[in-house]
Amino acid sequence: MPSWSRCVYRVPLLAASVSLASYASVAGAYPDFQRHIQAESGRVVSCAMCHVHPDGPDGVKHGQIGSLGDAELQALNHSRAMLEPGPAVDSPILNDFGDYLVSSLGRKRLMAWKSNPAKLISALNRVHDQDGDGIPDTRELRDGTDPTDPRHGDPWLLFLVNIRRYWFHLAMLSAATLLGLHSLNRLFRWFAFEAQRAVNAKGKARRAEGP
Amino acid sequence: MARGTVAKCLEFIAERFPIEKADFHSMVTKKTVPVHGMSWAYYVGGLTLFFFLVQVATGLLLLFYYQPTVSDAYASVEYITRQVPGGALVRNMHAWSSSCMILCLLVHFVTTMGMKAFGRPRELTWISGVLLLLITFGFGFTGYLLPWHQIAVNATKVGLQSIELVGAYLPGELSRLPTIIRETIQGEPSVGQSTLSRFYAIHVIVLPLTVFAVLGLHLLSVQLHGMSPGVNGQVRRSEKFLPFFIIKDLGVWGIAFLVLFTVALCVPFESFFSFALFAPYDALGSTPEGIKPEWYFFFVYYPLELLPFWAVAAAQTAGIGLVFAAPWIFRESSRKTMTALASAVACYLVAITLFGSVIYTFFKGGR
Repeated sequence: MPSWSRCVYRVPLLAASVSLASYASVAGAYPDFQRHIQAESGRVVSCAMCHVHPDGPDGVKHGQIGSLGDAELQALNHSRAMLEPGPAVDSPILNDFGDYLVSSLGRKRLMAWKSNPAKLISALNRVHDQDGDGIPDTRELRDGTDPTDPRHGDPWLLFLVNIRRYWFHLAMLSAATLLGLHSLNRLFRWFAFEAQRAVNAKGKARRAEGP
Repeated sequence: MARGTVAKCLEFIAERFPIEKADFHSMVTKKTVPVHGMSWAYYVGGLTLFFFLVQVATGLLLLFYYQPTVSDAYASVEYITRQVPGGALVRNMHAWSSSCMILCLLVHFVTTMGMKAFGRPRELTWISGVLLLLITFGFGFTGYLLPWHQIAVNATKVGLQSIELVGAYLPGELSRLPTIIRETIQGEPSVGQSTLSRFYAIHVIVLPLTVFAVLGLHLLSVQLHGMSPGVNGQVRRSEKFLPFFIIKDLGVWGIAFLVLFTVALCVPFESFFSFALFAPYDALGSTPEGIKPEWYFFFVYYPLELLPFWAVAAAQTAGIGLVFAAPWIFRESSRKTMTALASAVACYLVAITLFGSVIYTFFKGGR
């Protein structure tokens, strides 16, 4: 049974989380950016681009406001207070890229650009690469790919980046494969020669035996 | 009467599997391969075998870590990809080689049909090949569910539902059969743990064992009869199977391995799709847009989206029957006719796979 003092402490917290949840459904989710990226890239984009949960911040599942504990609600309040660009943010409803957007641009600008989502891409640092896959975040946003997953990006760009990254491994593998094929070539030629010789010898022996 | 039928059957089998030729000299050292303009087609079957072997090797490695439970399947696949050294490469090779295997199998199917390589005495080689094609589609369908992400579960649901739709066109008690089949495969009212367990068992035990048996029969038949001439008239040139054809075949395998390894290392298979489709499956969450089967099912998927179900189901049944009975139906047909037919099939497969989405938008709009 919780003590009265704990209940007294929890009631305003509960009220705060309910009000936050209702506030978030208006200001916490940013479907305008999602729609813009989807229209520009032609790819289906979910809230998981910036949020922890693919369905966005509203709800009671992991990464959604309804599931947050006391400490997480405090962290959420702290990140919501980041109206201007500033130090690193660790919001419980945002993924690493969402945190980066808030800390590098500030919530004030993000909310203002809802009516003009294209500004988000032009305002971002052009070389920042959240997932380290070699494709900058600005390009990932334009392509509608996941900026937090190094396995996800424009296939052709990933190919070019990874070819440069692994060229030595691939050169070694090519050399090993060619050497292996050359050795197998010699082995099969030798085997065919020996097999033919055995067949010839058998035929000769049969002929020598006579009818 | 019965004795005559049994004798005829035995005669039929003896002609298709001439045991007197089952020695090393006849099957390997003496064997020759025709050389002509379509000779490249002889390497496609071997290439399919190569990709199958890659599937077996990479699949065995994935088995060490994969957990076939609804709660852990997605996490175990993520663990393989992010934590296991080389896990992402192995998983990517498995994904790429599955598509390459089916592509090669389809090319092999079309070229074999075009070259009329199913003529007497190679009817059973053809039938075992068609069975292998169907089994491979089964591999694709069952393997798709295993990562337990959004596209995996939702596409499987759509696939299983289409089985049940057949029931509406069957008479009387037979109409319940598709539902029984679906429930048997599914194991519970909706796609869940029983479905995953069954698909896993089918994918890693039932289908591989079946493939080994049918593939053994297929390869034995090919070795006993040799390659079909494949062209009209007398084949002027031929080369020895050992060592020349085998060396070239291995060369093709080597190049295929290099290409597969490079692509698997540099281009994650999932990068071609929307990342929303690879979120963990949530039965109570929203279903992302763009749920589609793998590309090799587009030849059935888009017609199902565009045409009445009964028409597609009837065409599919007739098509499967026609393919199985091809050696007898097209016995008298010329190679020219078969080439034309195979070209038409190839055109349909290429068009519906590459432009299915465009065709759909043209007729239905949107999407």
